[in-house]
Amino acid sequence: MTEDAPVVEAPEPPRDRRRLVWAIVTAVVIAAVVGFLALGLANRGVGTSIDTAIRAGERPAAPEFSLPVLVAGGGVGPAGTNVALSSLRGKIVVVNMWASWCGPCIEESALLESLWNRYRTRDVVLLGIQVEDFTKDGLAFYEKYGLTYPSLRDGGDVTKRAYQATGVPETFVVDRQGRLALTLRGPVAEADATALAGIIDGLRREPAVQ
Amino acid sequence: MSRRPVSWALLLAMVAMLLLLPAAGLGLSVNDVARDVRCPTCNTPLDVSNAPIAIRMKQYIADRISAGVTEKAVIIDELEAEFGPEIRTVPPKSGFDLIAWIVPALVVFVGLALIPIITRLWSRRGRDHEPGVAPPSPEETRRLQEELDRLET
Repeated sequence: MTEDAPVVEAPEPPRDRRRLVWAIVTAVVIAAVVGFLALGLANRGVGTSIDTAIRAGERPAAPEFSLPVLVAGGGVGPAGTNVALSSLRGKIVVVNMWASWCGPCIEESALLESLWNRYRTRDVVLLGIQVEDFTKDGLAFYEKYGLTYPSLRDGGDVTKRAYQATGVPETFVVDRQGRLALTLRGPVAEADATALAGIIDGLRREPAVQ
Repeated sequence: MSRRPVSWALLLAMVAMLLLLPAAGLGLSVNDVARDVRCPTCNTPLDVSNAPIAIRMKQYIADRISAGVTEKAVIIDELEAEFGPEIRTVPPKSGFDLIAWIVPALVVFVGLALIPIITRLWSRRGRDHEPGVAPPSPEETRRLQEELDRLET
């Protein structure tokens, strides 16, 4: 008869320590997920903040831009040079985002042109911003529809994103202090042009600098 | 004389020509370029977009190919000059954007290199944790010897 040799157990690995590490890692991951969710909920309204602020009667600061001039006019230019929104401080600026392939942009262009002709000598600048378009097509568009108001060009869509534009055309009115007084998401129709004129007249009566 | 060998030779020559012909020689297509360019309106590659500007951009690509441009990079550079660097669906393999190409390859390479190291480490750790057999004590040796002696007698 044989006897088995006695078996000596090796020391156990430090399981408690390993469990602690896993618990910390899990807690950090859960905290990160919860943190991101909270951040997402807190920033839920950011995408519409401009419209929300204007609806609440506020005038948020108009996002600054500096873009090359596509078509010069009304003191904006010459073509190819960069013009910043801040350089027009003291004037009322009507910013219109457009593209040559956009049907509603064609429809509103005549109304914008008449608005420009009415206000061009009254400290108002109508400033087009060509987005998502070829330079050549934009120039052809201006020539075809006989437009004379100045336009900048934003090939990279930076301004469109800054102004939370979801498409073209969209129009924004910036007061003399560089604050957004109105956003018009969509084409300027006849009624809108009348309302736009009323808002511009109201802004013109405001003091230049407070 | 049979014509068959001549036909076979012709057929072989044609197959060889097709195999030797580089892909570029078949001509750059609009979709070759369009799939590497993003539609500014919908953010999808141009080849799957029907947005007005995507259609216009595909027309531009077709015009450039018709004008004799055979390099995809030339057309994409022209589009980038109009619409900015975000127009590319894949970053260029130069400058800062090179990181986008190097980092994933580096991660894969490091990962592959780590596999044998980690495997060896784990197997060594497992070996170290195996329950060991302690040598018998003098008392056990004596008892064992006694048992053996008893069995022999």
